[in-house]
Amino acid sequence: MTYVNKPSVPNVVKFDEPTATKRDKLSVMLNTGSDIYQGACKKRGSTLKDEYRHVSGTAYMDPKDMAKLGVKNWDTAIVKTDWGEVVVYVAHSRDAPHEGQIFICKGPWANVVVSPETYCCCDPTYKGVPATIEKSDEQPLLMADLMAEVYKKYSDDETSTGNRTSTGNRLVKLPDNNASNYRS
Amino acid sequence: MAYEKPIADYDYKVENCTCAFCGCNCDDLVYLVKGGEIKGELKDGIVVNGYVDGGHVVGVRHACRLGASKIMEDMDQRLLVPMVRDENGNLVETDWNTALDKAAELIANAVRPVFYGWSETSIETMHYGLELGELVGAVLDNQATICHGPSLQAVQNAGYPVMTLGEVKNRADMIVYTGNNAMNSHPRHLGRYSTFPRGYFRKRGRFDRTVVTMDPRYTDTAKMSDIWVGFEQNGDYEFYNAMRAVLRGKKLEKDIISGIPKEDIENLVEEMKKAQFGALFFGLGLTHTLSKQRNIDIAINLVQDLNKFSKWNLIPMRGHFNVNGFNIFMAFEQGFPYGVDFARGYPRYMNGETNTIDLLTREEPDVFMVIAADPGAHFPSGANRHLANIPVIQIDIHWGPSTELADVVLPGSFIAVEAAGTSYRMDGVPIYMKQAISRPETARDDEWIVNELLKRVQRIKGIKPKVAGK
Repeated sequence: MTYVNKPSVPNVVKFDEPTATKRDKLSVMLNTGSDIYQGACKKRGSTLKDEYRHVSGTAYMDPKDMAKLGVKNWDTAIVKTDWGEVVVYVAHSRDAPHEGQIFICKGPWANVVVSPETYCCCDPTYKGVPATIEKSDEQPLLMADLMAEVYKKYSDDETSTGNRTSTGNRLVKLPDNNASNYRS
Repeated sequence: MAYEKPIADYDYKVENCTCAFCGCNCDDLVYLVKGGEIKGELKDGIVVNGYVDGGHVVGVRHACRLGASKIMEDMDQRLLVPMVRDENGNLVETDWNTALDKAAELIANAVRPVFYGWSETSIETMHYGLELGELVGAVLDNQATICHGPSLQAVQNAGYPVMTLGEVKNRADMIVYTGNNAMNSHPRHLGRYSTFPRGYFRKRGRFDRTVVTMDPRYTDTAKMSDIWVGFEQNGDYEFYNAMRAVLRGKKLEKDIISGIPKEDIENLVEEMKKAQFGALFFGLGLTHTLSKQRNIDIAINLVQDLNKFSKWNLIPMRGHFNVNGFNIFMAFEQGFPYGVDFARGYPRYMNGETNTIDLLTREEPDVFMVIAADPGAHFPSGANRHLANIPVIQIDIHWGPSTELADVVLPGSFIAVEAAGTSYRMDGVPIYMKQAISRPETARDDEWIVNELLKRVQRIKGIKPKVAGK
């Protein structure tokens, strides 16, 4: 049981939550961290595979929030923060209830949206980042494609992005570092 | 979950191996090895001495899911041959000499190199890394900078009432997990060290202990605790202060503090005072929220206050198997635990200035060496973005997100499976991790790679290698 296709998540169907009103966009608090599926997949080294996209590129949500947004397990959504935007899967959280919070395991997907701000304490702000989440039709990218699309280290040319169709992954805000003042 | 038959198709057993995953460093693993020939001594199918040459691990006994998955690694993505990027941006396989020369040239000509990583390699490798860093004026930093860095700052602020995990097993009757999910990140921590094992003074194991989890989410650890304190997100600092106030005999004026009724806080403090030996384990839930090191300050102060009534200690839940090792090694050698800057010729440590994330967001480094780490997977993209502007050298065992950003890739070996080395457990106990099988023929030991880089940089700079006097 070392390999998994997808992490096992509870399937709590709450489409008819009486207190929920359908919304297109939810304001949530984003937490990142690690769980056992992500840890096992990452350290085994299976990062190029589909498994990594499911264990790491998934936003675990409270079932009530999912009902409000009208999404079910393994639908896709786009998470936006001040720092970036990324397309991820959504799934019911094993740690629910935590209404108003989403959890994305650390990995290339979460990195796009967390804050690099360290407040001079060496540690970036990985938890408690204000975010919004919306339903999306796009599929999350595999690790290598995501790294190429977000960082563009070896593909300056926009047209050389291959047959990828997604455009939902990008950096929005760069750190305010005054570096441009010193560039010649 | 489908039933799986125990693995019976193996040739040799290697006992008492050490797990190279988390800070628990479980040293009771049994590797089941298939194929290869013994270099050493074999007794009843058990390798009592030496290692298996050419075999591979097909199964692991006693390990958790995390440890087993790392040890029985994904050979599809194993880095086997050194690679260098060509002008089209493709990684091209090359020989060791070319790759090492290229890396040494980048390091020797760098103005502000950063050597990041070290937590998943041995102390012996760090020894050469430190010499290299000192020579070229690099910044040496490890994963503590993105996980328990604030804890180390808090230790400098407030002290370090520490114990060993053996004491927890034998003595502790109250275990507090705060801001971490041990069942997911350190799965054998409860079973081997803290909660379930029977100890000298805790004969009945789990029944003699009270487990408290403090976490905003109802995590897997919270589900198996006796008490769950689900305070608000970012409410840690206020909550611990309230506990300290109660402990000092003050009356709380607010009815609800960080989402917890004041009666519950008073009851919890009363329980904690009554414990004979308490152990507090804290994780990244404290260091990653907004108050960062102040959260840990207050947790350490809480433990100090509790010691007026009872015996309490704490241990940070360190993530990698040797992340504590780098901090202890650097503190011993240079006086600072991490983020040590040699740019001025002497060791310098300044939080927010000489740490990898701050350096990267300020776009300072011009060469970045990643050894046994994965910034591509774990740095915020605001920092990672700069890795796309500069040459990156990677020493690792698997093709990961950092390989996508790397310019020179040097395949290392897997400590505790393919190479031996020393590591430090989360409580600071050094453990020698032995070798079980041989490494892939074309890969090299981390120790050899870093030493070779050092020699080549010395040659470029025209410095004679240090030789011990007779």
